[in-house]
Amino acid sequence: MIKRDRQSRPPSEFSRRYGHLWFVVPGLVFFLGVFLLPLALAFGISMTNWSGLGNNVQFIGLANYAEILTHGPFYRAAFHNAVIFVVILIFQHTIGLYTAVLLNEKPRFMQFYRTVLFLPVIMSLVATGFVWTLMLSPNIGLINPVLKSTGLGFLAVQWLSQPGTALIAVIVVTAWNSLGWAIIIYLASLQAVPEELKQAAEMDGANSRQVFWRVVFPQLSPAFTALTVLTFIGTFRTFDVVYVLTGPLGAPNYATDVLGTLIYRTAFGTSSFSSGDIRFAFGIAMALLMMLAMAAICWMLIRQLRRREIET
Amino acid sequence: MKTRLTVQALATATACAFSTAAIADDKVTLSMWHQHPEWKDRAEAILEKFEAAHPHIDIELEEIAGTNYTARLNTALAAGEAPDLFGLPAGPETVAAAEAGYLTDLTGKLDLSSLVPSAASAVDNDGKVFGVPILGSYTVGLYYHRDIMEEQGLTPPTTREELLSVCETLKERGINPLVVPASDGIVPSFMYMMSAASIMGADGFDELRAGTRKFTDPDMVKAAAFIQEIAPCLQPGALSTAYVEGKALAAMKQGAMMPGGSADFAGYQEINPEVDLGVVPFPAAEGGTPATVTGLEYIFTINSQSEHKDEALTFLQWMLGEVAQQMVVDTITMTTNKDVVPTDSRILEEFGTARASNDVRVFYELPEVGSVFGAAQNNIAALLLGDMTPEAFSELLQAEVKPSGS
Repeated sequence: MIKRDRQSRPPSEFSRRYGHLWFVVPGLVFFLGVFLLPLALAFGISMTNWSGLGNNVQFIGLANYAEILTHGPFYRAAFHNAVIFVVILIFQHTIGLYTAVLLNEKPRFMQFYRTVLFLPVIMSLVATGFVWTLMLSPNIGLINPVLKSTGLGFLAVQWLSQPGTALIAVIVVTAWNSLGWAIIIYLASLQAVPEELKQAAEMDGANSRQVFWRVVFPQLSPAFTALTVLTFIGTFRTFDVVYVLTGPLGAPNYATDVLGTLIYRTAFGTSSFSSGDIRFAFGIAMALLMMLAMAAICWMLIRQLRRREIET
Repeated sequence: MKTRLTVQALATATACAFSTAAIADDKVTLSMWHQHPEWKDRAEAILEKFEAAHPHIDIELEEIAGTNYTARLNTALAAGEAPDLFGLPAGPETVAAAEAGYLTDLTGKLDLSSLVPSAASAVDNDGKVFGVPILGSYTVGLYYHRDIMEEQGLTPPTTREELLSVCETLKERGINPLVVPASDGIVPSFMYMMSAASIMGADGFDELRAGTRKFTDPDMVKAAAFIQEIAPCLQPGALSTAYVEGKALAAMKQGAMMPGGSADFAGYQEINPEVDLGVVPFPAAEGGTPATVTGLEYIFTINSQSEHKDEALTFLQWMLGEVAQQMVVDTITMTTNKDVVPTDSRILEEFGTARASNDVRVFYELPEVGSVFGAAQNNIAALLLGDMTPEAFSELLQAEVKPSGS
């Protein structure tokens, strides 16, 4: 009898309004534990002068952040990240799109091509970076002998040890590694374009080029947005490929130094003999400032690109 | 009778089982980190000898490549997860770790009477000892492939002029004169130290530490200029050549000469057992005397958080002894034990001869010039590329000197 009463009692107003929040609690606790808490701790550390060793910690407020604003190596590294981003972005939106369009024509062995082109994405960048290091080596590498034997000897240079070519080499490896993403994202988007739209345009007399640029291309806007934002995040977070190809100092003479290697060097050091220049808190401040700047730029990118999607 | 025998046998077996279990329970495992993966087999052989003599102690050695060692150790120390035993550069680095509370004070807990005086003084920090040189010391000079130089009819260079001349001849004949892994700046910084040592010598180094001599003195600037001059002698791609790759190139005769330490020989042999090397001091910069630099291999310290400090002390003491040090000098590098001599090592003898003329301690072991090495490491690529003048490079280094009198 009591049981029946309980079953028939209607849920309270509070339960109806907020009961669903119980389902959010596990996720929220997890989010707090693995993201917000460490972030808060990192922010706390960034306001100290802690070297990363020992108990000598003094609160210095926002002094680390103020120093970053006049820290030349930070801007140099950010500039290299920006160069990588721009070149990779252009590469993905041209070569990546073109390859996706070719694959969308469903050529013979399409599955094979798709697998081969996507393979670099799933391979470890550390492993592939090491292979590229060997291939680009002027002493034991494959690339320069191949260039020489094919009449392109004038292109055979010390790729990774000349300031003018080292960043190009880093960009080439990054492009090779990331092309698969562009192809897959554009291919998925191309396959989602309704055939009726293309047929209607053709019936109205549009040629294939007009069909692509006037009908298909505008439909790819969401893919463009996603790829641009992902490329921005990926290129500004880049670390492994530079670390493997040119080392933590961004050799030669910091020509390939990016924010990832700069932060690593500042926070953890690179010398086996001297840790005097390690500044853990300063490195954390750089990482947090970079995260904030990236979040703001991502937000602006998405806002601008989404507006373009709506307009089309 | 049969029953009694069976009972006795069972009792004996049970007792044996219990005693085995007791030994197993008492067994202590010490974790140990070191930064020379290329020595792993040789170091393991020494540890096996120790374990055989001390069945209740196991040593778990983890070798971490030099580039990652500092970052990994510092993170582990801050997180309270560092091993029982770990290596650190002697001098300011060890003192900093001790001041941070990471090290056990070993003062008076170990018998250091076997150490040569230079090693004993290097681990003494104002009367305190925090680590000991169980894996010897090293001297850095210039290795050369004896067979290549003989085939080419050349002798190892001793001066700037000779080095530049040998370099030109070898390049004309299609041979890389010098193999230098320079991507992390460490080996070129050692070259600079030797170049500077060739000008100032041990007395000048004392003056530099006291503040009466400077890296910016006109004769000392020539040390940096010399390094810039020999940049074209380096193998193609030197500035992006990692240490491990450079070592392999050198061992595989991809160049005629390479700067290296006594401790590198084991690595060269691992890569190429047929390697035929000789050693001379690094050629002198203008107006100098050929020089070497000498330092201790990482000294070993005991984690202040270790639960097995007694066993760790037992291990360190054993490692300082003659059995371990004989193995160190015969298979790895120079020993710091005054009673031990190499059984048969021409290379170590040549290093001994090389450093007899003009030898200076490595900068990073001394408080007055401890940060100079880092400054050299961070800027030497610019010097080699010609993006920085020898004067500017010397000024950067001088800015890091903290004279003892100041």
